[in-house]
Amino acid sequence: MGTDRTINLLMVDDEVKFLSTITERLKLKFFTISSATNGMEAIEAAEKGQFDVAVIDLQMPGINGVQLLETLKKSHKYLEVIILSGHATIQSAVDCTKLGAFKILEKPCDFDDLVNAIKEAYEIRLKKKFKDDAARIKKIQELSVFESPLGLLKALAKMDNTEK
Amino acid sequence: MHNDANDLLNKEGLKFFGKVNASISHELKNILAIISETAGLLSDLTELARHGKQIELSMLENCSSNIAEEIQRGFRTIKQMNRFAHSVDDFIKETDLLETLDLAIQLTGYLSFAITVQTDFQTKPEKPVLTCPFLLQNLLYQVLCFTYAAVGHNGHIHIRCSSQDNTGIYLVFSSTFEQAFSSFPTQGIQHTADVLGAKLNTDSKFAELDVWIPYTNPKFMTKEHKR
Repeated sequence: MGTDRTINLLMVDDEVKFLSTITERLKLKFFTISSATNGMEAIEAAEKGQFDVAVIDLQMPGINGVQLLETLKKSHKYLEVIILSGHATIQSAVDCTKLGAFKILEKPCDFDDLVNAIKEAYEIRLKKKFKDDAARIKKIQELSVFESPLGLLKALAKMDNTEK
Repeated sequence: MHNDANDLLNKEGLKFFGKVNASISHELKNILAIISETAGLLSDLTELARHGKQIELSMLENCSSNIAEEIQRGFRTIKQMNRFAHSVDDFIKETDLLETLDLAIQLTGYLSFAITVQTDFQTKPEKPVLTCPFLLQNLLYQVLCFTYAAVGHNGHIHIRCSSQDNTGIYLVFSSTFEQAFSSFPTQGIQHTADVLGAKLNTDSKFAELDVWIPYTNPKFMTKEHKR
């Protein structure tokens, strides 16, 4: 997969040692990583930063992984989320899939599987964004024919892709 | 003589056993995941070194201490698993209450909603408790889970013993918040307590709850014990 920039990753896990070790390994694979040890931290990080993919644990104190997935997907349309957990059950897998999780991996998982899943999730994100961008460009072209400059600006403001 | 205890063991015992084993297996998974990733990091660093990259010694030291610490954590977890597994060896037994509580604290510590537990045992039980150790473990586990959920992850629990006479001992659970224990006891906790002859109370502000455990429950006394 050829990409001009590194993939921005948000890693969320309450197991601090696991988080720091896997973060080190992923950095060696040239990912740009921010980490959070709980759901609240993750939500704040996602608000401040711009992430392509989030990898989150399921069982965490406070906001759990399912709730975090739901919150992240609601506020960040193109963010792809991978669940990496030792606590996944069939029910939680069904719930996470319904909420839009890209993949569910069981801990401990093969590192290469995780790296591949992150890359695949990033590709999906790019495709979705590209599709929406193409639709947006088409709409702008249509508007530019029929709207006055002010009308066009207003329409563009409405269409502005503020999604992170 | 032990019919209600038997019924409870049959109905809830396996469920409890499974629940605790699931939480232990999750803990072991976490430990193995850390060891696995640390070993992977060591391998990555070795590969980089092979290609001439300078590797900081501190990174290698961190990896090595990570692995050593996680192995110790694994041993502690397996030891607790073993202690828990042996709690079903004897249906009725003279049981050390504080040891049982300690194990319950360790086992509930694996749950994601577990909070900090402080203990202060200046007052200690005068003697062992003649009871069903597995059900006692179950009762204390349930009470701890209740307190964790009631207090929430920003609080903590303080546990102490209190003794008023030689018929039993109180385990007092204090919360950081008033009203935290307003829904105590749950049906399951009450039922288990009833079978064990234990009594449950809360203070008027619902910030403290106590579990009174009898030293001897007549239901559990065999001829041998009565002698």
